[in-house]
Amino acid sequence: MKGIVFTEFLDLIEDKFGLEMVDKIINQSTLESKGIYTSIGTYSFSEMLQLLNHLSKNTNISIDNLLLVYAEHFFSVIEKSYPGLLATYKDPIEMLSSIENHIHIEVRKIYPDAELPEFTVEEKTENSLIMIYKSNRAMHHFGLGLMNKTFEHFNTTATIALEKIKEDGTEVKFIIQKN
Amino acid sequence: MSQEKIEILKRSLAREKAARKAAEKILEDKSRDLYYLSEELKATNNKLEHLLTEKSMQLEGVFENILDAYVVMDLHGNVLKFNEAATKLFGYDVNKESLNVTKLIYKEDVEYAMSSFFKLKTKGFFKNYEARVYTKDKKVKFVHINASLILNKDKKPVAAQGIVRDITAVKSLHQQKETILKELEKRNNELHEYAHIVSHDLKSPLRSINALISWIKTDNESILDKNSLQNFSLIENTLETMEKLISDILEYSSAGASLKNNTPVNLNELVNGLINFLYIPKNIKVIILNELPVVIGDKTKFQQIFQNFISNAIKFSNKEEGLVEIDYKELDSFYQFSVKDNGIGIEKKYHEKIFKIFHSLNKSKESTGIGLSIIKKIVDLYEGDVWLESEPNKGTTFYFTIQKN
Repeated sequence: MKGIVFTEFLDLIEDKFGLEMVDKIINQSTLESKGIYTSIGTYSFSEMLQLLNHLSKNTNISIDNLLLVYAEHFFSVIEKSYPGLLATYKDPIEMLSSIENHIHIEVRKIYPDAELPEFTVEEKTENSLIMIYKSNRAMHHFGLGLMNKTFEHFNTTATIALEKIKEDGTEVKFIIQKN
Repeated sequence: MSQEKIEILKRSLAREKAARKAAEKILEDKSRDLYYLSEELKATNNKLEHLLTEKSMQLEGVFENILDAYVVMDLHGNVLKFNEAATKLFGYDVNKESLNVTKLIYKEDVEYAMSSFFKLKTKGFFKNYEARVYTKDKKVKFVHINASLILNKDKKPVAAQGIVRDITAVKSLHQQKETILKELEKRNNELHEYAHIVSHDLKSPLRSINALISWIKTDNESILDKNSLQNFSLIENTLETMEKLISDILEYSSAGASLKNNTPVNLNELVNGLINFLYIPKNIKVIILNELPVVIGDKTKFQQIFQNFISNAIKFSNKEEGLVEIDYKELDSFYQFSVKDNGIGIEKKYHEKIFKIFHSLNKSKESTGIGLSIIKKIVDLYEGDVWLESEPNKGTTFYFTIQKN
């Protein structure tokens, strides 16, 4: 998993819960990296799982909600780092439906070894979109957070419903309706 | 600040330091990789530049060295480039004056040129365009053109190129040839007709003479002496020979006509038919040793060949029991036939001569000396050969071949 996901995650925790929480969850986890992350490195996904788990336990906030909040924070990183990519889109539905065919292709140019989830468009109208999320990391709520922020970015909102196709969350249907 | 807080800060600081170092190392590795990559790119660039120069030189060489005219034009027909041959052919120096190809098209060929140009635009090429063009000094030349579009890397046409060959001389030669061939055919037909007329015209006075002679003979039979009667008989024989000679010349003149009526000919049937049809004295046997093949050709011509050989063999038989053997053997690209007799034979010194017209070794009324010439002419037509082996008084074997189709 790319280092920037870790550094931004820990920064957000420090911001919301203080440096003590960061120190606590690092100490509670068994980390190969010893909690030393740089945005340009690559680290094992299991480290993120451990950090998330311990944060969830310590704060009594579900992992899904943590991911949602984190994704909303992470969108601002994208806005700051890749304004050009966002500027190529005029509409949130257009942008979300081209995750697989455009955005991920661009991501792979910068991070050739990135392991990306799969977003297949199942149905698309001017104001609605149905997509199937597939990833063995089951981080669908991270996706949901990014999607929420996407609509916000285009000064609009949407109702997004999630239907788990597989119980473990590795395959989830996103039903997006623009408000 | 509590001791615990200090510890937390210390640990955080340590992590930050370590992270900075890790980042620096990653960046260093990356920049080293980038350096090598850029070196590699430079080398590749150099190589490509060399290749480009080389290919450009090759193209330039082809452009200047091909003997045909080479023309590059834009999609509106404006000439961009002429090689030396093109400059020489059309007379324009496109470096000094602008030229649109429509100016070159001969007025009667405009429609053809436009349809070819349309084909070039839609299909991307045209081939074997043959039409007339104007040169700068208003001469008309016949050219052959193959043309194709030049596409850019997005497969969009950007220009067109054509190779133009001056075929004026070839065209005129071709036309001359056609004219000569037509003339020749006409002459041949005339000659053939002429031969028919002549033979008819020659035969009719012969018949008159024959009739008159026979009347004189009948009217005066009682007063003619033995000597005169013998002379009359000689006149009649001579007239018969004369008529045969005229018929044979006519046959000879038509034997050389081109090979038409090519059909499968069953030679076995044909020769057996001849054996039944020809008059064969009782003391002579004509037999076929090996079954003869089916060949492609003109039935009449094969009939002429075998009829002449068999008649000759019978004619020149001098044995009590005459034997004529017809045989056949298949070679790689030829059929070889033979007609063997046990007749009078032919001396070696005549072997060449006998195939020439009017060279009969035996002057008799059945022998005009044309038969073998006809055979030779037909065998030549089938790109074969004819020859003989012979021993005087023992017999002769004639061989001939015809090419397989």
